[in-house]
Amino acid sequence: MEICTHCDEPIEVAVFDDSAHPFCCQGCLTVFKVLQSNGLADYYKIKSSGGLLRKRAPIQLSRTHFQYLDDPSFLQEYTHLTDRNERSISFYLEGIHCLACLWLIEKLPQIAPDVLEAKLDMEKSVVGLTLKPTGKLAQAALALDQLGYRPHPLKKNQKTEALKLREERLQLLRIGVAAAGASNIMLYAVSIYGGAEGSYAAFFNLLTVIFALPVLSFSAWPFYRTAWLSLRNKEMSIDVPISVALISGTLMGIYSVAVGVDENYFDSLTALVFLLLLSRYFLKRIQEKGLAAQDLHFFYHNESVRKSVDSTHESFASIHPQFLSVGDVIQLNEEDFIPVDGIILRGEVRVNAALLTGESAAKKCSVGDTVFAGTQVVRGSALVRVDQATQETRLGKILKSVEDGWAQKAQIVEVTQKVSSYFLWTVCALAVLLFVKLSLEGTLRHALEQMITLLIVTCPCALAIGTPLAFTRALGVAARKGVVVKNDAVLEKLSHIKKIFFDKTGTLTDGRPVVESFLVLKQAWLPIYDVVLSLEKRSKHPIAHALCEYAVAQEANLLEVNDFNEEIGHGVSGSFDGIQYSIHSYHVFEGTTPIARFSVCDRIREEAAQTVATFKERGLQVGVISGDKASVVNDVAEQVGVSRSFVFAEISPEEKKRMIQRESNVLMVGDGANDAMALTSADVGVAVCGSADISLRAADVYLLNPGLDSLSELHLLSQETMKIIRRNLILSLSYNGLSVIAVFSGMITPLVAAIIMPLSSLTVLLSTLWGTKIQRSLWKS
Amino acid sequence: MEVIVILIPLALLLGLFFIGSFIWMTRKGQYDDLETPRLRMLLDEKPKKGRVHEQD
Repeated sequence: MEICTHCDEPIEVAVFDDSAHPFCCQGCLTVFKVLQSNGLADYYKIKSSGGLLRKRAPIQLSRTHFQYLDDPSFLQEYTHLTDRNERSISFYLEGIHCLACLWLIEKLPQIAPDVLEAKLDMEKSVVGLTLKPTGKLAQAALALDQLGYRPHPLKKNQKTEALKLREERLQLLRIGVAAAGASNIMLYAVSIYGGAEGSYAAFFNLLTVIFALPVLSFSAWPFYRTAWLSLRNKEMSIDVPISVALISGTLMGIYSVAVGVDENYFDSLTALVFLLLLSRYFLKRIQEKGLAAQDLHFFYHNESVRKSVDSTHESFASIHPQFLSVGDVIQLNEEDFIPVDGIILRGEVRVNAALLTGESAAKKCSVGDTVFAGTQVVRGSALVRVDQATQETRLGKILKSVEDGWAQKAQIVEVTQKVSSYFLWTVCALAVLLFVKLSLEGTLRHALEQMITLLIVTCPCALAIGTPLAFTRALGVAARKGVVVKNDAVLEKLSHIKKIFFDKTGTLTDGRPVVESFLVLKQAWLPIYDVVLSLEKRSKHPIAHALCEYAVAQEANLLEVNDFNEEIGHGVSGSFDGIQYSIHSYHVFEGTTPIARFSVCDRIREEAAQTVATFKERGLQVGVISGDKASVVNDVAEQVGVSRSFVFAEISPEEKKRMIQRESNVLMVGDGANDAMALTSADVGVAVCGSADISLRAADVYLLNPGLDSLSELHLLSQETMKIIRRNLILSLSYNGLSVIAVFSGMITPLVAAIIMPLSSLTVLLSTLWGTKIQRSLWKS
Repeated sequence: MEVIVILIPLALLLGLFFIGSFIWMTRKGQYDDLETPRLRMLLDEKPKKGRVHEQD
């Protein structure tokens, strides 16, 4: 099979340029031409040498012109002027995937002269543009769009951005200071262990204290803060026992200098602070990678809309839907997403409401009918009077409920949190016990020293390092498999799932029609598939697309069409060599004689049945919950192997939410806005590839690749990760037990601690890296 | 052993110098984006062919 010159996808129907390069679609061809004409053909050289970082999809050309970007109210809200009086704005770009993208995007000033500088952040897929103060944003956005990266303006609050940046830098500084402190201390601590004596030992000890103080105050500050916050909320976190150990260690170190004992635990403690900070930093980084795709709320309403500006509705201005108000009249064309709830004044359209209601069939709406925000015009055009705009639309209300749902979502008590609570009480009890025992046997001073030593050496650092690392690893594997997971708590919740509910349209099925049967009734003059392909190629109707795919599979060729005509609800027609053909009402006609009959259906995803079976094997209860008609839903459920008693059809979005709320340990998989509320109410909500923006916001997990395959893998991954975490727990607690024994038998010295404590962290680290057998196979594949 | 009197302050100074420069670099934003620069350096600049962008 041929491969597209631009996007490297296998080609179904090739499109060629003048020098016979094959392309998978018009979009890719257009981008290729734009690059050639701007002297940016090196893109393809870089692409072939650089290797893919991410999978990419064919280019989808949009027809937006981005004029709304230059609207003064928009500029006010989304851009800001720098000190040098340049306008700056950030866009999230779809489709950033390789080194060549980086090269291309940063060449933007060559294509759009108003752009002074373009800087891309690959990790976040965000480009920061600097423009001339009078530069046109629309021109820059259009150029990006033409290159195949659809831009979405990011609203940036300067203050929060600056704060976030400061926080990130502070975090790095903490890690750096901890690393420098720990390594310098190591130098002097080794000298002391090696036998430095007298004034040397005293001097070295002083130096370790000097290096340790910034680490244990500045670097370790986040531990103290979390510990204090959780204590104040009467909760427990692993930072509490860590803080106890760190503070005891600090006090003991200072005390040792004061009384002239040349020993302290700073070497172990500073190294642990460094490792802890580092492991948490890694986890945060990988989570933010997922979150970058999460900042998607700007995705919804960012197409411009044509608003009528005169009473006869003849001329239109392009504005941002955000600035529409009740009573405005807008024009809707084919393929537009409807931004408002409104009533049709003129024209007739077919509307696909699958995202909003889950209904799979497109509905015909004519004058006087109401259309809803979030639905899409598949055919025709109309003038619509706005009845409800932005937040007041039905979609807006769902959106609001999703946001409220997030705020209410119960936080789970993580396994480490539970353990650290028991841990702290046990250690405290042991410390008191030790103190009483030693003070009865010997001096009070010795008893106090040993008690503090116990608090230091039982620091559950291994556990605190192992858990974030295990999650980092799991999230990294998930990301590589095209699964975005919001945070580590989701993975833990996922491993406890007992029930799983699938939406039908777009989740179990492809969500678009395919030809189910094609029956030739009578031999035609021309090859029938050639006729079908040539006629339907020009139509944008979903069924037309299905027919084209089918015809291509039958190796059809394109013919010259005359008098092509397409009418809403009446199919397409055209003549070939003077013979009239038409396709409508699920028949192909030659003149008026039907020559073929076909039917279409929403195809069930190939892997759906397998996925359902896998989850059943793992002992989960699998159900289907859909807004579509009962007959269709039952049919699909039966085919994928879901038993009748777990199938719920004709369920409204609000009802879905209530049903999910009643369950516990439930996973919901969906795609449309109609699933959004259910996704937030579920313990874990999964949005599949191609989901509505609002579902993405509602979900905890987002599958970037089409299909459900990655879902069962993710479930397995979560279970295995929890296994590792439990294994780490046991390992680190055994080391702690060992240290307790050592303290009680009086064998502990700073040197012993300096061996045991890093050794426990190392064991946990290796255990995490080694993983389980299943994990290793997941990592490899 | 007396050489240690010189070596230790030297080691300390060296350490402080690196800590100082690390803090300085972080503040200047050198570590804000850790992904893109490592890729950006792989791209070669073409020698400019008399075409200069206006940049004011």
